[in-house]
Amino acid sequence: MIEVNNLTKYFGDLCAVNDVDLHVENEVFGLLGPNGAGKSTIVRILATLQRPTSGTARICGYDVVREPKKARSVISYVPQEMALDIKLTGRENVLLYAKLYGIPDRARKVDEVLELMELSERSGDLVRTYSGGMRRRLELAQALVHEPEVLFLDEPTLGLDVAARKKIWRHVSSLREHGITIFMTTHYMEEADEYCDTVAIIDHGKIVALDTPDRLKSSLQKDVITINATGTFTGLDLDCVTFSGGDNGELRFLADHGESVLPEISQALLQQGMAIQSMMVRKPTLDDVFMDRVTTNEEDSAFDSYKFRTMLRRR
Amino acid sequence: MNSMISMWYYFERDLIKWTRGKLTVFAHLVTPAAWLIFVGLTLPVTFTDNYLEYLTPGIMVMSVLFASMQSGSLVIFDKVLGFLNKFFAMPAPRESYLFGKILFITFRGMVQATVIFSVAVLFGITVYGVTSILLTYLVLFLFGTLFASIATTIALTVDDHDGYAAINAMVSMPLFFTSTALMPYDKMPDWLRMIASVNPVSHAIDSARVLLSGGDIAVSEILLLGAGAAIVLAICTYAFRRATL
Repeated sequence: MIEVNNLTKYFGDLCAVNDVDLHVENEVFGLLGPNGAGKSTIVRILATLQRPTSGTARICGYDVVREPKKARSVISYVPQEMALDIKLTGRENVLLYAKLYGIPDRARKVDEVLELMELSERSGDLVRTYSGGMRRRLELAQALVHEPEVLFLDEPTLGLDVAARKKIWRHVSSLREHGITIFMTTHYMEEADEYCDTVAIIDHGKIVALDTPDRLKSSLQKDVITINATGTFTGLDLDCVTFSGGDNGELRFLADHGESVLPEISQALLQQGMAIQSMMVRKPTLDDVFMDRVTTNEEDSAFDSYKFRTMLRRR
Repeated sequence: MNSMISMWYYFERDLIKWTRGKLTVFAHLVTPAAWLIFVGLTLPVTFTDNYLEYLTPGIMVMSVLFASMQSGSLVIFDKVLGFLNKFFAMPAPRESYLFGKILFITFRGMVQATVIFSVAVLFGITVYGVTSILLTYLVLFLFGTLFASIATTIALTVDDHDGYAAINAMVSMPLFFTSTALMPYDKMPDWLRMIASVNPVSHAIDSARVLLSGGDIAVSEILLLGAGAAIVLAICTYAFRRATL
């Protein structure tokens, strides 16, 4: 459905997307990564809103640069911002899209997608009165009105409460069952783990991991040990234990057999003069894969306001 | 054809949104009428014994000017709030958004001008037939298109509300005060007359004034305004294509 080859995008000197290859089947595809890693830029290029510096991207066989109109006719794009006309009713918001897409028999189609998104009862109310979750579902209704093959969702659950998020995901899953390919970005690892068929982790514009969530987790092949301790950590010299990072007094280690190395680790830390509050062994989550593969650390990289503004201005 | 239909849908969207804000509509319609009444009925003017009749075309053009120049912020809203991203990911021609916006901005200015004209008629200005009124509206339409295109181009370039408001004030106020809206050429100091005679606002006002006082059609003026509107619209379309790639 989506073929991306050697995709690269520069904003001035800033390389937002660096030689990315992706191949997305009919599935729910999740693009994960830290802020500024290039997720939204990739989605915007695929949604024909930005041109790549080099490389190609095809959606259902249509090149997004050379055949943008054809590409637009098979996709829908729902950006992060929740752009809805609050002075129009829910139905009017969807109707505008049905008109712009030139849908025949649009009154029926609009009712159908509103029903699908469980908004029929409130469709005559002004969007001003809608909750965040309802607004997001209304955006999905707008996006579905022309029966797209591919749906791009940029952070679809950002800022929603747990119940609203669950509901959005239920709808996304049912769209997948109706044969729609879903390409989305998210910050929520547990959600990507539970609902995505394939995830790609992107860092500094490069794909650093690409597989099913299960295979990514098992690729770590290790237990995760987290230790809360105070004092200065000076490193650990144990054969079957690797240090995978730490912040705010929490140290993370990876080990093949977590339980059996706990005594050794604790002894070593105590020798360094550290005081241990708690220790825990667990199976890896997508979070751990993320932390393992991604090198951008909020603390390491100073907030570059110039680059940040360059990115924003390009949106 | 496709592009005309989409243009209409974008226009319709703005129109419904505008009419839903009752207070906004009220404010938009009362403000120009207030200009007419407070300036038209109070200024101690000696060059004419019916200043209201002199002033009406000027205030009609002024309201189209101010309405057009302020409305660039509609584009900034759509851009900042993410609407453009959604619209432009659709197969509908992108320019139809721009033309729909310019059409709405012009239309809203013309509605305001109509309110002024109605108030002026209530105060007893002379009306010279339907043709002269229709031609006046043609002038207002071309003038509105010209300034809606200018406003939209500025909005596409500036990108933030504060900056836009500042530029808007900087452009529209001087344009109004250096025009023939408030006084005729022969009552102006020399330096002002020079500026006024090249000011497009003066040209629109002069045309409207001739038409509304029963004079002959100023064909060259209308052609000039039309050409100006076409050129600026072309520049605006170019700026729009560049800004949205």
